[in-house]
Amino acid sequence: MTFAQRLAEIRARLQAARLDVVVALHDGAHFIEKPDPVRVLTGFKALGPVAAVLDRAGAVSLVVTPAWDAARAQEQCPGVRIVAADDVVAGLEKALGATRPTAGIAGLAAAPYGIAKRVVELLPQAQAADAIVFEPARRKTDTELANAREATRIAELGYARLLEIARPGMSEDELAVELRWHSRALGAEDNFALMRAGPHNKAVAPSNGRCMQPGDIIVCELTPSYRGQLAQICRTIVLGEASAVLRDKYALVVRAMNAGFAAAQPGQTMADICRAINTVLEAEGYGEFCYPPHIRRRGHGLGFGSIEPGDVALDNPTVLEPDMLFMIHPNQYLPETGYLLCGEPAVMTPAGARPLTRQQAALAEIPV
Amino acid sequence: MQTMHPTLLVGPADWDAARLPRAEFDARIANLWRDHPQAAGAIVYGEASDHAALAYLTNLTPKLQPSIALIPRAGEPQILVGGGVNMISAAKPLTFVERLAPLGDASKAIAAWAGTLRGGIVLVGGDAMPYELRRSLMGGMEAGDAALRARMRVKTPREIQIIRQACSKLDTAVAALLEALLAGSSVSECAIFAEHVALKCGAQDVRSLFSRDGGRTLRPFEIPLAEKCDPLQVYLAVRHAGYWVEAFARVSSSEDALGLRAESSLRALVKAAKPGVACRELAGLAAQSHPHPLCDGVVGTSIGLSLDQATLTADARLEAGAVYSFRAGVLGDDGQGAILSAMVEMTEQGAELLWPIGQAP
Repeated sequence: MTFAQRLAEIRARLQAARLDVVVALHDGAHFIEKPDPVRVLTGFKALGPVAAVLDRAGAVSLVVTPAWDAARAQEQCPGVRIVAADDVVAGLEKALGATRPTAGIAGLAAAPYGIAKRVVELLPQAQAADAIVFEPARRKTDTELANAREATRIAELGYARLLEIARPGMSEDELAVELRWHSRALGAEDNFALMRAGPHNKAVAPSNGRCMQPGDIIVCELTPSYRGQLAQICRTIVLGEASAVLRDKYALVVRAMNAGFAAAQPGQTMADICRAINTVLEAEGYGEFCYPPHIRRRGHGLGFGSIEPGDVALDNPTVLEPDMLFMIHPNQYLPETGYLLCGEPAVMTPAGARPLTRQQAALAEIPV
Repeated sequence: MQTMHPTLLVGPADWDAARLPRAEFDARIANLWRDHPQAAGAIVYGEASDHAALAYLTNLTPKLQPSIALIPRAGEPQILVGGGVNMISAAKPLTFVERLAPLGDASKAIAAWAGTLRGGIVLVGGDAMPYELRRSLMGGMEAGDAALRARMRVKTPREIQIIRQACSKLDTAVAALLEALLAGSSVSECAIFAEHVALKCGAQDVRSLFSRDGGRTLRPFEIPLAEKCDPLQVYLAVRHAGYWVEAFARVSSSEDALGLRAESSLRALVKAAKPGVACRELAGLAAQSHPHPLCDGVVGTSIGLSLDQATLTADARLEAGAVYSFRAGVLGDDGQGAILSAMVEMTEQGAELLWPIGQAP
């Protein structure tokens, strides 16, 4: 799929919904779980609050803040009308002109109140249009998939770097900072580097100042973004020699992940993947740990644009299609070992899900 | 300056009681009640991209998802931490507040807490809340942003000390820029090297922008670039213990005539800066026949827990006790540009230079 083909599908939905335009909003605060409809419509990753307007004829306007960033937008979005502004709502008003078209808005619910309130006042009749923008983006474009492959390559190099530098006495923060910088030096403009260490982790969370100790289990999600496309790997490392129990339990979560991959076939659903993973763990007596607060999902879509097809979760009926991109990660809390991270980015092909990684998750040991 | 916001904040942000003791926060909260004498409590919202007020009152940097502090006039504050129950242990070291709970259904939790109060409620950060969350909250709250921002502009001696430490890291990072330039690095390599040097010094966060067009425009790092620029125009922001400092810096392997013009304007601006002076006057002193678009009508910003606490436009007046980043810029006849900046503490006597370190204003 190309970017133009996706835009054509969005336009078709716009017409089917009898809308004149769709307005996309984003606050410029990029977050792994917050989709960016402006990026879907334009490919632009903004510094500040942005808006995009797509009309039925296919014309796109991009409102860029701060105004001084307009030159970058123009360079990256040829064919798009750039409106430079220091106030995104004033810029949107300018982009819309004197008319007040029948509009749908994508990204309104997540937009900051101070912006969203004014947009609603500007377009009081507008309806929610998130599905119009995000559903056609459930499959990645060829370019996005290529970028995801590069992000995965950077993630795997980052993991190799972690194995080189992690040591007792180093703080979680130091390790996370170094890994994020390392991926930047390799070409990733961002990295969601979530990481904790401890003898018995309850979950993965943002790093803090705790210094790592011999025997700690490091759990990390390395999620570089290459040209605005995220890809993730989930890994578990021991500072020292892993116990037999830990090895055994890690093999279990890898087996669960493989079951998830096997279940990920075109025509199946995201829920089916989750169910397949749970089945492996439930068979080993861990059924009670397959639900919150221990786990709420077994994977997720990968932004920053669209995060479709959503979560690998029992309540997600999304049907799998080729070119969908998402994480499959059992990421399981087990009472004997604590939280274990194991996950790969998966791309759907006509023959099923394929990992983008070159090396599958395996429990690693760092000699201390 | 606006920079590219990262998806996760990963730098050191633990509360250090020796650096900022609880008494410092108690004084800030006491000022909140002085500014809102009728209020029985305050709701303070913060998220990764904008959490200056939350950090000011609780020290918490919400690294992952939004957090909300509920601060009663009587009794202990609590913080609702985004991301679920499993995020609580990770958030504990970041704040002195002992009562942490999952954000969960925030509007329900806030309503229950508000029901225990006898009096009005101050809301800070309401405009930054997600639209649906803000709409779900009760009405009739008093906005507390402006008064708090005014308090935050005036720094305490402890804050000044932290900012000086941050300036030291900034200085090292800027020196690294020149080192990278002289080593033949590309524009993006220079910026990334400077970022790394600051992080190695223990910076909490670093942001950079650089120019590919001789200083006329700035852009964030997106992909590695092979091209080299000499002189190199860069914007660097370094965060330490919550506090930001920034530099518009130029490095060059030879004499930089445009840079010298910008420096001359900046010196005039810093020299004239005194409490009560209107920024319009400063802008006049720094004026160039061809002002740089990033400096036209703006002489800088108040800086601290956020990069841009208050942009210094024409009508603003300088305040004693504030920390400012002043900037001056010029466009050359060939379309190239130069911007330089200085960090100052505004004392009653005038501007005390915090960065560049060791230079007379």
